[in-house]
Amino acid sequence: MRLLFLLTVPYVRKHKLRSLLTLSGIVIGVAVFVGMHSANQTVAGAFQQTVDRIAGKAQLQVTAGEGGFPEEALEKVQSLREVRAAAPVIEAVLNTGLPGQGNLLVLGVDMTGDRSLRDYDLEGKDDEVVDDPLVFLAQPDSLIVSKQFADRNGLERGRRIRLDTMEGPKDFTIRGIMKTEGMASAYGGNVAVMDIYAAQLVFGRGRMFDRIDIGVAEGVTVDECREKVAAVLGGGYEVDAPATRGRHFDSVARGLSTSINLTSLFALLIGVFIIYNSFSIAITQRRAEIGILRAMGASQRQVLGLFLAESGVAGVAGSCLGVIAGAGFARAVTPRLSYLVTEVYGMQQLVEKPLMTPAMVAASIAIGVLASLAGGLLPARNAARVDPVKALQKGRNQVFGEGENRIRRLVALVMLAAAGAALAFGESNTVFYTGYMTGILSLVLLSPAMALWLARALRPLLKRLLPVEGALAADSLIQAPRRTSATVSALMLSLALAIGFGGIAASIYTSVTRWMDQVLNPDLFVTPTESITARQYRFPASLGPRLAAVPGVAEVQAVRNSRVPVNGTPAMLIAVDLARVARRVRVIAIDGDAAGIVRQASEGKGVYISDSLSRIRGIARGDIVTISTPRGPLRMPVLGRVVDYSDQQGSMFIDHRVYLKHWGDDTVNIYRVYVAKGHDPGAVRREILTRFQDQRKLIVLTNAALRRFILDLTGQWFGMTYLQLAVAVLVAILGIVNTLTVSITDRRRELGVLQAVGALRAQIRRTIWMEAVAIGLIGLILGAVMGSVTLFYNLAMVRRDVAGLVLDYQYPFAMAAWLLPVIVLAAFLASIWPAEAAVRASLVESLEYE
Amino acid sequence: MNKQLAAVVLFAAAALAQDPRQIVEEVQKRTRSQSQRYEGTLRVIDGRNRISEKRWRYERLGSFGDSKAVLRFTAPAEVKGVALLIHNHKERSSDQWMWTPALQRDRRIALQDRSTRFFGTDFSFEDLEERDASQYSFKLLGEETVNGAACWKIESRPVSTKTSQYTHSTLWIRKDIYVYVRIEGFKGSSLVRRIEYSGHEKVKNIWTARLLTVFDAGRNSRTELKLDRLEYDVTDLKQEDFTLQALRRG
Repeated sequence: MRLLFLLTVPYVRKHKLRSLLTLSGIVIGVAVFVGMHSANQTVAGAFQQTVDRIAGKAQLQVTAGEGGFPEEALEKVQSLREVRAAAPVIEAVLNTGLPGQGNLLVLGVDMTGDRSLRDYDLEGKDDEVVDDPLVFLAQPDSLIVSKQFADRNGLERGRRIRLDTMEGPKDFTIRGIMKTEGMASAYGGNVAVMDIYAAQLVFGRGRMFDRIDIGVAEGVTVDECREKVAAVLGGGYEVDAPATRGRHFDSVARGLSTSINLTSLFALLIGVFIIYNSFSIAITQRRAEIGILRAMGASQRQVLGLFLAESGVAGVAGSCLGVIAGAGFARAVTPRLSYLVTEVYGMQQLVEKPLMTPAMVAASIAIGVLASLAGGLLPARNAARVDPVKALQKGRNQVFGEGENRIRRLVALVMLAAAGAALAFGESNTVFYTGYMTGILSLVLLSPAMALWLARALRPLLKRLLPVEGALAADSLIQAPRRTSATVSALMLSLALAIGFGGIAASIYTSVTRWMDQVLNPDLFVTPTESITARQYRFPASLGPRLAAVPGVAEVQAVRNSRVPVNGTPAMLIAVDLARVARRVRVIAIDGDAAGIVRQASEGKGVYISDSLSRIRGIARGDIVTISTPRGPLRMPVLGRVVDYSDQQGSMFIDHRVYLKHWGDDTVNIYRVYVAKGHDPGAVRREILTRFQDQRKLIVLTNAALRRFILDLTGQWFGMTYLQLAVAVLVAILGIVNTLTVSITDRRRELGVLQAVGALRAQIRRTIWMEAVAIGLIGLILGAVMGSVTLFYNLAMVRRDVAGLVLDYQYPFAMAAWLLPVIVLAAFLASIWPAEAAVRASLVESLEYE
Repeated sequence: MNKQLAAVVLFAAAALAQDPRQIVEEVQKRTRSQSQRYEGTLRVIDGRNRISEKRWRYERLGSFGDSKAVLRFTAPAEVKGVALLIHNHKERSSDQWMWTPALQRDRRIALQDRSTRFFGTDFSFEDLEERDASQYSFKLLGEETVNGAACWKIESRPVSTKTSQYTHSTLWIRKDIYVYVRIEGFKGSSLVRRIEYSGHEKVKNIWTARLLTVFDAGRNSRTELKLDRLEYDVTDLKQEDFTLQALRRG
């Protein structure tokens, strides 16, 4: 500890900026980690909280997928002795249309019995506050809202509020106000309650309920009750504790979690390199100091301890700052993530402020400190091994020894071979991901050697551009590879990450566009809401024939899609008239004959699934899947696999007649409308709107608009990732500043001599700029190469774990080309301050140096 | 002979007085009619003395253990047409359905929900069922005077097949005319609800309380139900008027 105060504190004081840069590596790494995990946990927590608060005292919930189930199930549940209370629920989100108020979570309940499960805690603690319970039930426009929502919108009992319904905009009367506690505090307080039978009308649910909430009778265990309820309902229903819905969130949004974990890991890894770089440089500069220490009797262990303690302290300080910065990052990212989760997965939640638990803070600090120690370990070990005699020799400290280089290359090649073997023979996730990490590490180990080769290769080019400055800049890199290697590695990793994700984005865009060309060929899409992913609003089946009767309409195809349990886990089920759709759309079969698959499926002899679902769930052609339906489990053979990108977690196609038979639900999510030849789709769209928009809420999207929506959503998904990448690149740029600062300090005498013999300040400046740009270019080239490897692994990861999608390998050349000016510019900007510092240094002091 | 007869009658009355079941069955016997109709005025007076008033028309066909009843709101306009159909059973609790004309929907009132308040009044859904003696066991607790009238005080407990929110009830029955004057429903040792019967009048030879006042022990409010245009043994009621289809027809 005394050594720490004696040696480290003066060094930090003297090199404030560099110390700050070291910290920034940890800060940004931890900030990305904290920010992304906080945002993810906040959204997952908000979803769970909404579920919990709305569940109230319910101990069990009966569901049968998103499609709901017929009302008859309620009486069966209520008839059980083990059930104290059973209340039906419909849950939906309405757009309030109120400025700044967003959505309103509406809970349809049967007020005659629901209060035994949910505490409405009405204002005034008196039922009469719901003006009149009988009027509430008798009038379908009755609404109870939370006090928070009422206060925000200046609503009071008796006031009317206009909301979108299946039958178009409709006025509702506020007949009660709930205190903002318990249930009313769910969904950010934007909660309303209406009669369940009115909700059926408003949301077009027919005679269906979304779920039944159950309170268990006294003296009966929850498990006993669950068994009885499951037995009385049959196999098509899920009977679980409300917390289970949170687990469904994890299974559905696991692509998101994997992506967040991966980018956080990369950000931390980049942070480790920055720390490694800073410590390597610090140790190089303090060789003489270390030599003297060793000469005075300090043991290797004491020197190792000193530098590890330094990295530990830097880790703690950087992590604490990282947590603070991460909180700010989370604040920016959380609303976007919340929007994506709602749009992509259809999971309703409303986030208020990012969640930051003590456990998360502790874990982040621990991870930051560990990363810092990992980054500082090698330099500390090198410091401990410093030979006191050699420590005073100049010029050799930034050069890798040939032995060191050989060992490094050897280890790298062994790791590369191991990565190749893992790829060839590894089926399990452990082997695959170990192979991935081994492959990345081998490239990192090879990066100093590759950087050196590239620096040598760049020398003629730089020399040709500016003979003196170019040669000096290149020589600086060639003579001191240790100084630049970590920065180059950090930059390489950042850019590899960017290219890896850019490639995924490009592949997805290409695949989705190709799929849209083949499948999304109707001229118009009629949906009940602006968002095609929102499934809570549905059309009645009767709308189909009326749409077909519109002049210019050649064909109307009804689509009913809902997430239902398939082999116990939710999957997107798409019910359409398969034979009719196949006449218009070319089904792309992965295995088997597409026409045969469609024919058999349309005869109700089975289902076919997307390739992605097959891969995620391990379901093969010929397997029997069990689909939960309100009329019992439906066991169907899988007739084949097709290419489909309708849902991120894969989809299953079933004939609409089979769906009707087993779900008893004839509502429709989307109508696909084909316009007859010779008719203008725009005119038909206008006609549909004119005919129906006064009767019900109805959106008519043109083919182009729907494609735009899908591509925008995909773009927003990657927008999240790009944000993280920008941070990672920023970390790498800071590394360049760090390296250049040290480079200038190292070469102070050399630069002083140059000035003394007549070199112009502009020449010195240009030398530094060229060195920076050269580092950027080397990092970019290595990053582009490594990016090709990460893209390969990322595609495998998407196929194996994230979405089961088989995407074409498509290197993002455009992105790489775009990165060239960005990195060159960033490197140049990073060099401005160090260059100015170099030219403004006192000539006398520079020549006196050392 | 007359003295002997008087002694027998007195002896019989004394014997009857000692058997609470017979007392309650006598109440049922004396109030038995094949059908009933009245127009009820319902006044809910809340803790802040705010009064809301509704009117309904009540029709019943059949008698204890095998009756069907329809209660249809007639005023105010917002609730007009809302109806409750009750099918009473001898061996178990009743079935109840509610009809809301604006939604064109009927809904079954689940057994579990019978303890909830009847649309903001102090009645519970269970209180609208008939109390058939066969579904309870009885115990004579003694005699008390209520509002100047001598009464038997009897405890009733539901039999196992009867689902009830009350673990037991205390009944006060006037000795002179065999009518209820008060019923208190308990959950354990806690009083849940008290119903006072007053304004007894003889209609078609049946003593009937024209005013029922219900107090909910958990709330500082009361509900009064006044019976007007009371008729017994109405001839124009048919079985088909007491079905879900009839309820939906309105």
